[in-house]
Amino acid sequence: MKFSDLLRMSINNLRRRKLRTGLTVLGVVIGTASIVVMVSLGIGLKEITVEQYESSGSLTKIQVYRNYGMGGSENEEDGFITDKTIESFKAIPHVKAVSPVLSTYVQMRQGAYEGSSRIEGLSREALEEIELGEGRLPDPSSGTMELVVGPMVAQNFWEAKTGRGFWETGEQPAVDLYGKPFFTMFQSSGAEESGKQKKYVFPVSGLVKSDTDENGNPMYNEYSYGIYTDVEILKTQLKRIYKKNPIPGQPVNKKGKPYNYYVYDNAYVYVDDMNNVMEVQAAVTDMGYEAHSSMQWLEQAQEQMDMIQAVLGGIGAVSLFVAAIGIANTMMMSIYERTREIGVLKVLGCALGDIRSMFLIEAGFIGLMGGAAGLLLSYGVSSLINKFLGSGLMGMGGGGGDISRIPMWLSAAAVGFAIVIGMLAGLFPALRAMKLSPLAAIRNE
Amino acid sequence: MRVEAEKKREVVIRVRDLYKVYRMGDTKVYALNGVDLDIRRGEFCAITGPSGSGKSTLLNMLAGLEHPSKGEIVIAGKHIEKLNEKQLVTFRRERVGFIFQSYNLIATMDAVENVALPLSFRGMGKAKRAKRAKEYLKLVGLERFMTHMPNQMSGGQQQRVGIARALAVDPQIIFADEPTGNLDSKTTMEVLKLMQTIVRERNQTLVMVTHDNNLATYADRIIKIIDGKIVSIEENHKEADLEAAREEGAQKNKDCKEAAREETPQKKMTEEKESGENL
Repeated sequence: MKFSDLLRMSINNLRRRKLRTGLTVLGVVIGTASIVVMVSLGIGLKEITVEQYESSGSLTKIQVYRNYGMGGSENEEDGFITDKTIESFKAIPHVKAVSPVLSTYVQMRQGAYEGSSRIEGLSREALEEIELGEGRLPDPSSGTMELVVGPMVAQNFWEAKTGRGFWETGEQPAVDLYGKPFFTMFQSSGAEESGKQKKYVFPVSGLVKSDTDENGNPMYNEYSYGIYTDVEILKTQLKRIYKKNPIPGQPVNKKGKPYNYYVYDNAYVYVDDMNNVMEVQAAVTDMGYEAHSSMQWLEQAQEQMDMIQAVLGGIGAVSLFVAAIGIANTMMMSIYERTREIGVLKVLGCALGDIRSMFLIEAGFIGLMGGAAGLLLSYGVSSLINKFLGSGLMGMGGGGGDISRIPMWLSAAAVGFAIVIGMLAGLFPALRAMKLSPLAAIRNE
Repeated sequence: MRVEAEKKREVVIRVRDLYKVYRMGDTKVYALNGVDLDIRRGEFCAITGPSGSGKSTLLNMLAGLEHPSKGEIVIAGKHIEKLNEKQLVTFRRERVGFIFQSYNLIATMDAVENVALPLSFRGMGKAKRAKRAKEYLKLVGLERFMTHMPNQMSGGQQQRVGIARALAVDPQIIFADEPTGNLDSKTTMEVLKLMQTIVRERNQTLVMVTHDNNLATYADRIIKIIDGKIVSIEENHKEADLEAAREEGAQKNKDCKEAAREETPQKKMTEEKESGENL
């Protein structure tokens, strides 16, 4: 028999018993919807967790520090993060880029406000990780040190006269680092005359991008409080300022002299994929450094989330299982009712396989209709949950995002799963129908 | 005394030494107790007998619906007692047409779809089988009922659809199980006449089971079964007659044989069989 003929016969049979078909489909609708909604909550929780971790730092970034616990035993220089170390990190598989972090503390002044902050020198690759809201990255060929500032740096300013800043008053200081120039003073090396510190004005080439909350205030991300520039330019600048004098923050040897190379505070290792972060982190640790990544916490959190998701999915699966029993029951009843008709089909020469397929298609079709309608229902329920429960449930204020998320694969899987469940439930009845005796058709009542 | 031409016609169904034994607890019931039978191409053959005589069992076995306990059935050169169920279905699909007592039309399909149904089992395309179904519906005189559903048709009309369905597959043999059992006497005659005409015109082989000896007289040959054994085979030629049927309807007590026109001479040949002869 042609598939189109089988399909037509099956659908006609379903239409003949509209109410019963409808009720059975309703069971599948509820089953599918409960699975989809439950899993969507699981996915939502998981993704929100990932997003939270992402906002506190890129998930593919590993921060590497000097291991002070182990250092100093034989040769202090062993623990330093230097250009050599950076190169050795680059040799680890899956490492996309490595950036040294060279930071220096500065005092800043704009109008009536002054503040303190840190300028971090990063490699070009690391700078490119920063999403800019306005402007551009520092030009490496530029003679002056161009800066990228975070939108929240201004919060570290206080009024010079009163000494009261954002953290005391809760008001944003009237400081605009991106729009207006400001003075920068470097830490004293102790060599120059006191009180005669040089003031510099560096051009600001870019502003770190940040989302704003409903009051228009910038929202935190990992670059919000930083001032960044190219590490090579920073090195040049520092050399220009301190000349032969030791640079504050740089270690000195036993004789009190600085080393003839830069020692970085820490380094960022960028990994090509989230899944490889733990592997690279282990390699870095093995080399004798301390390493931290968001991934390491996320992984634990994800294990928990997986469990929550499995439990939620299991709860949903129970109702789909009940629906499957409903399908099997409906199909069995329909077969008993149609014993004679099935007998006629067999007498007329309908192949056994075709009879089985006919009933499987019928059951599968119940699954399909239930699955599709259930999916629509779950979209509705999901949007209701997001509207009324979403942020409240997570206790995250405004920036939570949707707690129930139905990705494409879940939609497709839900409908596919419903069809498969339907057909599985219909398998036994279909085999039963196939084995019915054709003699039932001959019997005359 | 048989007509020579008929003698030469090939045997379509050959039954040898056929037994069907049912077990009822400890006792064995012989539904068929040693049956030998030949049916030739183009023959209209009636199997009669009282209820419980085994006539339906014989038909079921000829149509490949039941397995015999012993013996052989050869249809068009094929031993069907050796076929498994799957092969039997294929056999029925390719070679057998079936007319039921209670018509057994599919309630959700109209006349054309019902006639086309067995063709769809063969994988024939929709347009092609609908065309063929319409041809056969015309043949049975239902031009105006093509799109009627079974419940919109009378019993006689439904049975005509049933006949068209059996014919449409162009079978080698048509089996009819009490085809007029649910019809009134007038319609019975119409349907019987229709079957007789079509079978003659198209040289179809038709095996009909009936408990009504009167109906059986319209067949070319009457095989009488009692207690699972063939007790007599009669050669017979009688035209089903609508006029006769109408008269019969009017005068119920009048004997059908007398009412029938005398234009066809009746040939009768009775072979009495000893019950133990074929065991």
